Amino acid sequence: MNKQAISILYLIFFSLCLLASCHPTKPVIKIGINAEITGEAPAIGASCVNAAKLLVAEVNQSGGINVAGKKMSLELVIGDNGSKPDESVAISQRLIAQNEVVAMIGPNISSCAVPSSEIAESMGCLMISPWSTNLRTTRNSNGSFKKNVFRACFTELVETPLLARFAINHLHASQAAILYDISSESPNSAAHQFQKSFLKEGGKVVATETYTTGDRDFSAQLTKIKAANPDLLFIPAYYNDVPLIAQQARRLGITARFLGYNSWSTPDIVTLDTGHYLNGSYFSNHFSLESDLPAVKKFNTNYQSAYGQPPDDIAALTYDAIGLVIESIKKADSLNRTAIVQAMSNIEQFSGVTGDFIFLKDNHDPLKNIIILTINDGRFVYVETVKP
Amino acid sequence: MEQSDFNDAHFLKVALLNKNFGGQRSIIDLSFHLNPKECLGIIGPNGAGKTTLFNLLSGIIPSTSGSIIWLNQEIQKKSAVQISYLGIARTFQNIRLFKQLTVLENIRIAYDTQLTYTPLDALLRSPHAIKEEKKSIHASMELLDLFSMTSLAYEAAGGLSYGDQRRLEIARALALRPRLLLLDEPAAGMNEAEMNKLMELLRWIQKEFTLSMLLIEHHMPFIMGLCNRMLVLDFGQLIAEGTPEEIRQNRRVIEAYLGEEEKNEF
Amino acid sequence: MDYIAQQVINAFQLGSIYALIALGYSLVYGVLSMINFAHGDLFMLGAFTCLLLEAIVPIPLWIVLPLTMITIGFLGALLERLAYRPIRNAPRVSAIITSLGCGLIIENITLAISPYPRHMPTLLQNSTIHFYGITISFLQILVVGVSLTLMLLLDFIIRFTSLGMAIRALSCDRVMVSLLGIPANRIISLTFALGGALGGAAGLLYALAYPVISSSMGILIGWKAFVAAVIGGIGSIRGALLGAYILGTTEVISVTILPSTYRDLIAYSLLLIILVFKPYGILGEPPLQKV
Repeated sequence: MNKQAISILYLIFFSLCLLASCHPTKPVIKIGINAEITGEAPAIGASCVNAAKLLVAEVNQSGGINVAGKKMSLELVIGDNGSKPDESVAISQRLIAQNEVVAMIGPNISSCAVPSSEIAESMGCLMISPWSTNLRTTRNSNGSFKKNVFRACFTELVETPLLARFAINHLHASQAAILYDISSESPNSAAHQFQKSFLKEGGKVVATETYTTGDRDFSAQLTKIKAANPDLLFIPAYYNDVPLIAQQARRLGITARFLGYNSWSTPDIVTLDTGHYLNGSYFSNHFSLESDLPAVKKFNTNYQSAYGQPPDDIAALTYDAIGLVIESIKKADSLNRTAIVQAMSNIEQFSGVTGDFIFLKDNHDPLKNIIILTINDGRFVYVETVKP
Repeated sequence: MEQSDFNDAHFLKVALLNKNFGGQRSIIDLSFHLNPKECLGIIGPNGAGKTTLFNLLSGIIPSTSGSIIWLNQEIQKKSAVQISYLGIARTFQNIRLFKQLTVLENIRIAYDTQLTYTPLDALLRSPHAIKEEKKSIHASMELLDLFSMTSLAYEAAGGLSYGDQRRLEIARALALRPRLLLLDEPAAGMNEAEMNKLMELLRWIQKEFTLSMLLIEHHMPFIMGLCNRMLVLDFGQLIAEGTPEEIRQNRRVIEAYLGEEEKNEF
Repeated sequence: MDYIAQQVINAFQLGSIYALIALGYSLVYGVLSMINFAHGDLFMLGAFTCLLLEAIVPIPLWIVLPLTMITIGFLGALLERLAYRPIRNAPRVSAIITSLGCGLIIENITLAISPYPRHMPTLLQNSTIHFYGITISFLQILVVGVSLTLMLLLDFIIRFTSLGMAIRALSCDRVMVSLLGIPANRIISLTFALGGALGGAAGLLYALAYPVISSSMGILIGWKAFVAAVIGGIGSIRGALLGAYILGTTEVISVTILPSTYRDLIAYSLLLIILVFKPYGILGEPPLQKV
């Protein structure tokens, strides 16, 4: 639609890049951020950028990183992918080819992360997605792992079986219904994984309904779900959709408990006027402020003083993702992209603010705990940590 | 209607009027005048500029140069809306009724410009609006009655017979209470009987409504039945002016106009 | 049974909103034979105007609704005055491009001011009514009720007032209207204002029913309402209503039967089939031949 405007902007942008490249380069380590600053999921992009800036400031304040005997400071190159796959690909190319970053953090939403991972893979640059749980982000179509792509979060393979087990054991659910965004990859695969796991744990899935990104009216689907009379409604959906679905479901008289997954974890979901419809719901999460790890306390305090609000999942995962990049650079002791990727592949364990990471051999998806939260009077309340 | 205060020269006076469409000159240095209560016929071959003249007089298109003086004011720069308020109404060669509106509405819409109520008034059914509406319907029905068309008031205008559509268009023009009526080939497509009826109607209108007429027509008997004086246009120029009898004898007219179309009813 | 009744209510709510927007397309097409593609964005501005007014001072719905309608009506007329009137006699494709451009401008101004989706405050204490297993929320009744009231009002204006008469006359013959002493430009402005006001009301109602609003919300819904207007017979007021309710119903039926990705596919295929048999739309008439 506004392709022409975009291409003109790119033209201007590239000319500026060319101008900028005339300056002598300073000894800095450039890390690219490919974030959802505008579009469908701006809260995600904001958290991602905030956490990245925080960690970079912390590292630079403490003197930077020693690489090959030289103290170097970190520099962020931030790109806005507009939550759109095509733009995220363009941003990836720009960050890697034009801005010469040593590693790229993001994108976070899977519809952007999957196509961007192809760019990182083909251009030989380390990419760590803080938040994309979709399998294809780190995997090729034949199931093997992409050489250069990692993630800081758990995948649906880890999350949804634990979530289904929790729903049956702790919530005593037996008749589940699922309503999910069929045109987005992460909700889509979460829905399928959950259905499989829920059946395996002995439950029954009585209705599976879908909608398409951008839909605001779910009444037709919810009316069908109501007719199936479930006791649990699993809603793997982005945070913009969830309060709308909850509101419309309650208005139609659906009494089932709502269950969500990690995409629910932004505070925006409950600060809306319709947020109170989510009271009593449960969801799984990457991160909790109530964790007793000392790193979490420090992270929380610094984040609050910088931005005036507590960090969410995306912030914590971004913090850990950049932590992994720094760890890799230190281990590689070089700014060579291949060496950094090799160092990252050799990491087996890492302790971050979201918990302990275990990287199995030749596996780029960490094995991690999930944290169950419930929504109580518009607040996220820690319920339990479910370990794999 | 009182008209004695107008002297003849300033009732309608067209002076050195020109209209160019791109390079093509449709009206060239045209000058003529019209007297109160007069019916002036205009003839000329196709493309002579007759309809263009009407378009200039009614303000649909602007003139290139020259002046049109109507009731002591220059109107060649005025818009169609302004000119309609000054009392010039017209009909078209190809009937331009609002075909989807009813017969009554076609008349009312012309009357309504003389009314004073806003859409909000109408919506709230204010007493003023109701009164005005009644007034407009009443006046419109009266006019239809003069044309013996009351029984057709609620029919769609597009569904009327050809002759009735012609008459309705004239009635609608009269609803503006004009002082000057521009009739563009009103008898086109009519048979002799219909033409005679129309001629009578126009005569009666001229008397009843005390107005002047400019009449474009091809049929000489029709013009002769209504007009004492006529103009002949050819390629945008006035080539003759006079009584129908004089025109009939005029050599230039015979050459320019009749030469090519001798078979006509001339 | 109650399941079907519930789905009918859902379809009715969706259709009512489409109808309010479709009327705007139809009205403007009626008088100018042009498609105002910026109309979907006037709808979006309706939602944002309501949000803005509520942010300045919390006012009840019965005040904010007319205020929003007046604002968007004014913007509609302004759009016509500034963008469409100067090119009224230009080729039709220029008008289409201009309206698309205006739509993009409005969207991007809104995007620049409000880059993130916004959330509407709750203006109504929501309550639901249950009977015979059907659940109707007060909001649904409100959406349908307000829409129907506005549509009846519009129908009244068009059929029984002098403004309506002038609008209908204008759609037959613009030149003739001027010759009868009616300022066509003023009628055209008022028509845009009427269409804008309805679009603004639709935006407000939509934002109440689905309280997440964004600068791009008008695009898809605008297109859908446009399609509804074409199906019903563009230029026809009743056709726009009929088309909108048919579209709403088709969408709900296809969602209940098939995955949601098929919804638009099914809905629009069906509508195209209607067009094959009724090329001017269900209630549309072929253009009248000039005598």
